[in-house]
Amino acid sequence: MEFKDYYKILGVDENADNKTIKSAYRKLARKYHPDMNSEEGAEDKFKEVAEAYEVLKDEAKRAEFDELRRYGHFAGNGFEPPPGWQQAHGSRRQGEAQFGSDFSEFFNSMFGGGSHEFDFRGQTRQQQSRGRDVEIEMPVFLEETLNDKQKTVEYQLSEFDGRQVKPVKKHLRVTIPQGVTEGERIRVKGQGEPAMGGGIPGDLYLHIRLVPHPLFDVQGRNLVVTLPVAPWEAALGAKVTVPTLEGDIKLTIKPNSQAGNKLRIKGKGLKRKGSGEAGDLLAVIKVVMPPGGNKETQALWEKLSESAAFDPRSEWSNAS
Amino acid sequence: MTQRALTVTVTELSVSDLCQLEHIEEHVVAEVVEHGIAEPLAGEAIDEWVFDGTSAHWIKKAVRLHQDLEIDWIAVSLVIDLMQQKELLEQENERFRIQLGRFMD
Repeated sequence: MEFKDYYKILGVDENADNKTIKSAYRKLARKYHPDMNSEEGAEDKFKEVAEAYEVLKDEAKRAEFDELRRYGHFAGNGFEPPPGWQQAHGSRRQGEAQFGSDFSEFFNSMFGGGSHEFDFRGQTRQQQSRGRDVEIEMPVFLEETLNDKQKTVEYQLSEFDGRQVKPVKKHLRVTIPQGVTEGERIRVKGQGEPAMGGGIPGDLYLHIRLVPHPLFDVQGRNLVVTLPVAPWEAALGAKVTVPTLEGDIKLTIKPNSQAGNKLRIKGKGLKRKGSGEAGDLLAVIKVVMPPGGNKETQALWEKLSESAAFDPRSEWSNAS
Repeated sequence: MTQRALTVTVTELSVSDLCQLEHIEEHVVAEVVEHGIAEPLAGEAIDEWVFDGTSAHWIKKAVRLHQDLEIDWIAVSLVIDLMQQKELLEQENERFRIQLGRFMD
């Protein structure tokens, strides 16, 4: 059994008072809490810190730990409690793992006996433990949000087969409801990690990530598409074909349109959950110059330049 | 070991589901809602409240922060609010980056 020096884990002296222990725990908990730190290993570190705090904040547990620390001895890499310690400290089940507990074997050998189990928040639970919830990212194409969509989810779980913990690949077919949005989480009951020892399995949470579309950007329920137009189409107006998620449509560009003008196409955005109601598609005009040109087009541009007498930077001269 | 694909449905959570799963009391759910961390999808009285997966995700986070960091609900709601804002800003940043790319090309 590996010995855990809870004082060392919290970075405090063995004579530290409760206030110092609490302060050390808070600092480390803030640093390694899995909700604040997504780095690999942070969660394990947090559990270690929480376990140390669980023992050191409690007078009785701390006294028991101090006794073990003082009189136990180290053999090779392992640790052995002092002779007779197990019997003297309740009905602990030596060598039996406390599945469902997030605490170490060392902790369970000290405090995890009987019908009680502790989780890493120090709650004593008499009920069966529950498997861990699992969250995975679920890429969804914009087109797939328009209707309920069956998708296959593949992920890996750890399962205990009675002897050891093994990775298991899971395949699920999940119906993603119409109108899901970026960042949304959907819960699939009972498809998380199984509970060791026959408890209820955890849940699976699918974190929806809308796949960036090559043409459309998402703004709430609205979609934005950049509409490239030739300078003469912007000047004279035109009928153009614009893509939507549900096929092409015809759109009229008014004469004298400016770059950046938005044309709103009602109901061609993303759908709202539960109702068929949809946002709009906004086509943003981008004036694109034709590449190069020949003598004839050059002459036409020159003629235009002379007759239009247009200064696009007139605002600058007014400002200076 | 690979398991065959299984068809499952997406489910919402009642207050009693949440209390059972997270080992919390009803009043904790009430605190979370009162502090604007999550909003029930439906239900008038607390025992009728129903939450979607997104709310459940933030409620779980809030409960963990409250218990593990020993911070009060106001501080928890501030942290959750900042976390949600960060998530939104990251999404927005990504969106603007792609949008800008379209105008620059």
